[in-house]
Amino acid sequence: MIFHSLDFAIFFLLLVAAYWTLPRRGQNALLLGASYVFYGWVHPWFLVLIAATTAVDYGAARGMDRWPGRRKTCLWLALATNLGLLGFFKYFDFFVDNVAAALAMAGWHVPRPALSVALPVGISFYSFQALSYVIDVYWRRTPARTSLLDVAAFIAFFPNLLAGPIMRATTLLPQMERDRQFSASAARDATLLLAWGFFKKLVIADNVGVIANKVFALRSPEFYVLWAGVFAFCIQIYADFSAYADIARGVAKWLGIDLVKNFEHPYLAKGPTEFWRRWNISLSTWFRDYVFLPVAYRISDRLTSDRRLLLDAATWAYAGGMILTMLTAGLWHGASWNFVIWGAYHGVLLALARIVGSMRRRRRRVRRWLAPLQVSGMFILTNLGWLFFRETELAQLVRHLSLSPFQATVLGRRTGAYLFFLAALYSIPLWVQSLWAEFGGRDFVAAMTREEAEPAAWSVAVQALLAGLLFAGILVLRSATSLDFIYFRF
Amino acid sequence: MSTPGARRSRGLSLVAVVVGLFVVPLGLRAVNTVVRQPEAAPSYIPSIESPRVRGPFDRDAVAALREAANDYILIGDSMAGTRINPGHLSRLIGGHGAAALFHPGSGPAYWYLTFKNFVVNAGLRPRVVVFFFRDENLTDTLFRVYPSALDRVARNREPALDDILAARSQGTFYRLHGAVRRLYQYDQTRAWLEPLILRAPVAVSAGRRARKKLLDSINNEVFTLEALRPAVAADMMTASGEALDFSRNLPTSVLPEILRLSKASGIRVAFVRVQRRPTADGPPPQSPALQEYVRQLRAYLAANEAIYHDDWGDPDQPLSVYEDGDHVKRDFRNPYTEIFFRKNPEIFR
Repeated sequence: MIFHSLDFAIFFLLLVAAYWTLPRRGQNALLLGASYVFYGWVHPWFLVLIAATTAVDYGAARGMDRWPGRRKTCLWLALATNLGLLGFFKYFDFFVDNVAAALAMAGWHVPRPALSVALPVGISFYSFQALSYVIDVYWRRTPARTSLLDVAAFIAFFPNLLAGPIMRATTLLPQMERDRQFSASAARDATLLLAWGFFKKLVIADNVGVIANKVFALRSPEFYVLWAGVFAFCIQIYADFSAYADIARGVAKWLGIDLVKNFEHPYLAKGPTEFWRRWNISLSTWFRDYVFLPVAYRISDRLTSDRRLLLDAATWAYAGGMILTMLTAGLWHGASWNFVIWGAYHGVLLALARIVGSMRRRRRRVRRWLAPLQVSGMFILTNLGWLFFRETELAQLVRHLSLSPFQATVLGRRTGAYLFFLAALYSIPLWVQSLWAEFGGRDFVAAMTREEAEPAAWSVAVQALLAGLLFAGILVLRSATSLDFIYFRF
Repeated sequence: MSTPGARRSRGLSLVAVVVGLFVVPLGLRAVNTVVRQPEAAPSYIPSIESPRVRGPFDRDAVAALREAANDYILIGDSMAGTRINPGHLSRLIGGHGAAALFHPGSGPAYWYLTFKNFVVNAGLRPRVVVFFFRDENLTDTLFRVYPSALDRVARNREPALDDILAARSQGTFYRLHGAVRRLYQYDQTRAWLEPLILRAPVAVSAGRRARKKLLDSINNEVFTLEALRPAVAADMMTASGEALDFSRNLPTSVLPEILRLSKASGIRVAFVRVQRRPTADGPPPQSPALQEYVRQLRAYLAANEAIYHDDWGDPDQPLSVYEDGDHVKRDFRNPYTEIFFRKNPEIFR
């Protein structure tokens, strides 16, 4: 089931009506049932996978409690199951293709077995959410739960099931274990979040997505046309992904559950490190905690001397750990080399930022007036990254990178300018929100959705007007071409 | 703990936001009374298209067809256009020959309207009408619904097609979508606002002289069919998943409507599945889902007394006769026409 469908609206209204009449355990049972209906709506067999993941992870965590001497075995069992399923469904074809290509280069032509199985949508997200539970139990950050129902509802919680934000057991499970009371102010805030989320998806992301798709369907786009398409994709992926996160947060809020914020105006970042603190925050922190830190510590332990090639051991450990982590994060996005390149690119950017940062600390502080230049610079670097991310054909990617702005035709320049300004026009609400948050002191959506004991009448009136305008905007401006959420395919 | 007053206040604020959500958009009706586009008329497919100035129905084509009174009428897109030479086919079959109503970049909605308005409602009585398609095209209702192209074959009201398109694009509750559209009249706002948005960047993208023609140049020179990547141009991406669920997609496709018209008019219909681009080793691979789809399609057409022919695996159509994507080479047009004639005795009996 997808959020932007009437099927979901009716499903959600019925769910909310029933949910608040039940006690806590009944709510969790209803949540689990609703999540399974939501997830199995199109492909019921997907439920087998999520149920298997739940059973193994619940059992592994309980096993760590029961047999303290076999904690590592239990962890490996859970890791093998989660990553095994993820690897099989997501990377089997990629692996086979590359092995076949390597063998062909060596002169062995072997027939390629085809796996005609659909990638279970959301598997990358719920596998990581489930893994966070098992790993945190192993690291004794959270106790193993005895209630299978609570754990199952945590892993399958439908608002963030398909495209995040990836919730930690330490954050979401306690919310599932305590009594929840209906809060009208939370529901009011959630309504506004939903309106904003749907506006971002249906008006901004889908309209600029059409531009990006058109450009990337061209055999040989000129320089300006190509980069207008990249800019459109840059807007699309942010609007699309953050819309999903806002809708997920809004839906969860109606159910008395708070999900973490997944985006903090990433295109206003002044450098790579800040970008990853603002972009897909739940995934970046997941990789930081479960991949980067263990890897960086391991590298750091193995470095014998304090300084090598002008850099200290900590910087080497950071750079090595970060590049490896971002390569993994790239591959997490999809079984394709362009994602690996995108991950490596960001890994190198982060490593360079650290190296430059460590040198700069020793010299002088950067002046404030440089901030707009830094934001612009990072925005350009981010766009280059999105080119790697969007272009799946490597030969085309090489061609794109060799394009020169000086070889463009007049029509190519005008077309590029037109597409760029059209994408910019649709993205105005996004920029207004981000710039308001950065320079106006407060994010207006966040300001509108804050908890208040007794909201002022003017504030409610503004919220009502804003919600109505967003809905009117959706009705009038929504794209005729409805695109899937981009992150569904990851 | 909050006081009852605070709780009531919060409850009222929720009600106010929900009311605002649904009431504020009613202002669109007021806006529409001020800003009007007098020349725009409601679309013949209002579920998916705003009011606009439509292109004319091609009466000349209908008149020409009436005059020719062909025995066979062939409908399809560039797949058929690159394969069939109607003149050569007419020579092969004799009599009143065949007429080709091929339109590049067309899809099932176009084919259905052509059959309905150019053949059945025009009072033509050919012996057989042949539809050319690829894989799941016939039940892929939203495939290539390009209103500017449909204008040529559409009447001012096409309720059956509108219902089918609405059911496919809006799901089970498509009638509710229609009610919302009528309540807020957002399609009328969209009719004047959308062109404004699309034209706005023109002013900053080109000099005064070039502005007028910029959008036409972009559409006709930059995003042409020839400029697309071969895989996109030929729509070579093979379908998967839901698109190959025949029984799920059939009720919201034009196929039952084509067959209903065929029975009502007594005109026999035939469906020819052209072969996608083969591999060097043989015919194009077919997933189990596609094989199952084709099996069900074939059974459904047989049950409805329609003729079915499948080019898949035809040894006379190897990779060497293909041009780009699923198109065949120009010099293979006559040979294909002969193959088509020879291998379809049921059609040309």
